[in-house]
Amino acid sequence: MQPRLRRGESVLSKGSPVQQLLLAVFVAAAYVALASISAAVAYSPADAWTVWLPSGVVFGLLLSLQRARWPVILAGGWVGATIFAVGLGSGPLASAGYGFIEVIACGAAAFFVSRLTTLPARLDSARELVAIILGGALPLALIGAGMATFWHVADGGSTGATTFEIWALSNFLGTLLVAPMVIAWSGMRAKRSGGMPMPVFVAGAVVAVLFLGVMWLLFDRPVEKRIFGSAGPTLTYIPIVFMALVGLLWGTRGATAVAFIGALIAMVNTAQGEGPFAGVPGFTGDPELEVEAYALAIGLTGLLIAVLAAAQRNAVRAAREWKTRFEATIGAHRLLAYDWDPASGRFVVTGDSVQLLGRTPVQLSTLADWLAMVAPEDRERVTAHFDTRARGALDDDVLDYTLTGADGQVVKATDDARPIRDHEGSLHRIAGIVRTATTARSVA
Amino acid sequence: MSETAAPEVVAPAAPIAPSTPPPTAGTPDAVFLIHGLGGTQYDLGSMHKRLKNAGFVTHSLTLPGHGTAPEDLANVTAEDWIDAVVAKYREIKDQHPRLHVMGMCMGALLAATLAQRERHAKGQLVLLAPPVYIDGWATPWYRGLRPLMYYVPGIGRTMKIEEEDPFGIKNEQLRAIVKAKFERGENFHYRWVPLECIRQVDRLRGFVMKGAQDIRCPTLIVHAREDELTSLRSANFLVEKIGGGRARMVVLEDSYHMVCVDNDREIVAKNVLEFFGAALPGATSSLANEPKMTPEALQAAVAAATQRLAEGDWTGLRDLSIPDLAWVQPGVNRVSGAHAGKTFASFASRIAAGGAPRFTAFGSPTFNRGVALVPATLVAARDDASLESQGALLLAFHGGKLLEARWFADDVDREDAFFGEPDPVAAGPSALETSFEAAIAASKTMKKAPDNDALLALYSLYKQATVGDASGERPGALDMVNRAKYDAWSARKGTAAAEAMQAYVELVGKLRDGEGS
Repeated sequence: MQPRLRRGESVLSKGSPVQQLLLAVFVAAAYVALASISAAVAYSPADAWTVWLPSGVVFGLLLSLQRARWPVILAGGWVGATIFAVGLGSGPLASAGYGFIEVIACGAAAFFVSRLTTLPARLDSARELVAIILGGALPLALIGAGMATFWHVADGGSTGATTFEIWALSNFLGTLLVAPMVIAWSGMRAKRSGGMPMPVFVAGAVVAVLFLGVMWLLFDRPVEKRIFGSAGPTLTYIPIVFMALVGLLWGTRGATAVAFIGALIAMVNTAQGEGPFAGVPGFTGDPELEVEAYALAIGLTGLLIAVLAAAQRNAVRAAREWKTRFEATIGAHRLLAYDWDPASGRFVVTGDSVQLLGRTPVQLSTLADWLAMVAPEDRERVTAHFDTRARGALDDDVLDYTLTGADGQVVKATDDARPIRDHEGSLHRIAGIVRTATTARSVA
Repeated sequence: MSETAAPEVVAPAAPIAPSTPPPTAGTPDAVFLIHGLGGTQYDLGSMHKRLKNAGFVTHSLTLPGHGTAPEDLANVTAEDWIDAVVAKYREIKDQHPRLHVMGMCMGALLAATLAQRERHAKGQLVLLAPPVYIDGWATPWYRGLRPLMYYVPGIGRTMKIEEEDPFGIKNEQLRAIVKAKFERGENFHYRWVPLECIRQVDRLRGFVMKGAQDIRCPTLIVHAREDELTSLRSANFLVEKIGGGRARMVVLEDSYHMVCVDNDREIVAKNVLEFFGAALPGATSSLANEPKMTPEALQAAVAAATQRLAEGDWTGLRDLSIPDLAWVQPGVNRVSGAHAGKTFASFASRIAAGGAPRFTAFGSPTFNRGVALVPATLVAARDDASLESQGALLLAFHGGKLLEARWFADDVDREDAFFGEPDPVAAGPSALETSFEAAIAASKTMKKAPDNDALLALYSLYKQATVGDASGERPGALDMVNRAKYDAWSARKGTAAAEAMQAYVELVGKLRDGEGS
């Protein structure tokens, strides 16, 4: 399993000819497989495709792999689309034309996304997700639907509006179910350790089983035997709660895979006349449209939660890295920083106070704690100086004094403090940097 | 995944190495250290140094497939690792009165296998984070699928199993350093290993599971409660199999898998040294129980030490001590504080410059096991002042070496007045010492290992700078590596510490420049 390339890495290699061939074959095979699933779950294969999944694999791979591989991916997609169309009974020319529509729509959508966000995609920011949905999946569906409708009408067809609607909706849904899954799983690398802790994985597994189980209970029932009777349709929100938890716990990989399976459960059963959306005599509704919207809601809920959680983790990681760098820097210089609010008495020490002074930051949470460390001969002078600082009377002052560490260390401190003032010039806080030098340890 | 994978028959170990002469009197004990999967001696942190400072000779090896590129691991089997370890063990076991074996991670599995197959009884066994079970809290969810993957043709060699954050380290500063090393491509640990290699580790785990009950030597197992790779279940399994009478366990509370470099590294070192019965600097209490010296030897050692102190030969005191000798000087003055290891040299030169102090008027020593309490007077004089300070010297010995000396002055204020106010600049490292420390750190992060000549030069300069002139017996002709190191060090006899430090700094700079070109 190849490690995923880093962002901005300028690897121009398309891979060896064998690798290119394997990729094209993989894309074509995946396309045909997903197209077959789409046909199997179609509400009415003759005229109502609930979901069109294969575009998602082409689009997802375009967003996941470096641009040098796009021609191979598109070629594989074209071959897969053509083969599938031939299998449906279309002529060679029509099949090839259909293949071109798919390739053009996917390629254009991937190009639009590349203008909006950095590729390869990682699904770790809301901006990227929005770019994929609005700048990718939606144009893909609309471009494909537009071209197909134009062809249909030019060929003498009379159901242009229906063609456009079915193509656009099924394509949009399928792309949003499959492309994020492809993007998420293409970054998968086998690890010795690290990543998701086992307890989180187990918790996610429990929630995923609950989600799929509830989906099955809700949808695997004929209309007349709906679970919870007429209340069944109103309980379809329950799996969405579980889906959100799956996204939170398992991240994008788990969320996209579980959402995909859940959507299939909903669509297959609905197509078979089962589940809460199946037609009921006397009730006006469109089962196909309803299940499409429901599947979309499931997929987007899990994905959105997972992406936001990933963004949150990235933010925490960045903050932690910043903190680590900062602490390493001030630690190397034997510095401590303090932030003192004279009004509230809040005194926060940053830096390796344990190493330098033998006290934890918690043990130094008030000015009194700090002054208690000052050597007796300096204490009165330092206390008076801090009082002056608290009045905001000093703008630029450096104070030398001696501190005594917890185990008798004698620490020479050079305390450089600056006032932080508000917009009116009043004292807000005092920020200090203390340079320390351990001179000796008192031994009784 | 089968956690109890059926052990396989292992090929016969390497033939016995030519017999070596039995150790002569005074030959130090040794420790054989085995690194982990994809790693180097870096895995063992400062254990080499700590053991050497405690008077042990350390032996190590680079396991087959390591030290080059991860791809080279694809063709290595568990038997190759075992054979290499057994061969090294047989080569060195007769060179020392006692030989302890210590391994980290996969090295611990190899150490356990070695102890079992060689019926190791010549010393003790230390197993650091042994991964008998791959079940730590951060092992991936698909870990149980790997036995299935082993049957997919070709994938074992091509599939990469990567190292990932947290890299076995809980301490965030250290983790950031390790991460940066990986990103720079430094050759201290493989970034990934082939799946095939994991299969071999699984087989090794099977060997240990089957053979652990045959380990007969005293065994210490050190394991972190939060080990992300292997849970405490592994340590519990080994203690149970080896038997509570022979095996004991130390559980670390503030580390992940890499116990020798993480937060608890000092605890690890202390426990290992104590387990080996090593001389611990500053550990006067433990010395009182086990000096390993006859009363006559103890008296002679005290006489030798007081002789040096009477001559004011502070530097010469190190000839009688372990490298980590600790001197504790009371008060708050220019020379007070605890000075151990490398800082002792700085202390010795500082105190010698402060009026040529020496001890005199020694009284009769009082002995308690390895500790001697000697009444004495510290005298010193300079142009404007003189000092005559009465008190008692506490000298702690172990195995013939001085471990620690503490001076208890009756009147500390008098000494404070004589030696003067603490001087932060003098007490801290000099610019050269700071450069030297930085060069030492830089030498460990080179992308390419220096050639042998450069390594010998680095070694000899380091020893000259930190220890001084070469001492001890020249290693025998069969011990070629240590002999070459000794000769290189010896060739620098007479070079001043500062000069050696400067040369070391320049050499490291040159080597680093060479990497960049």
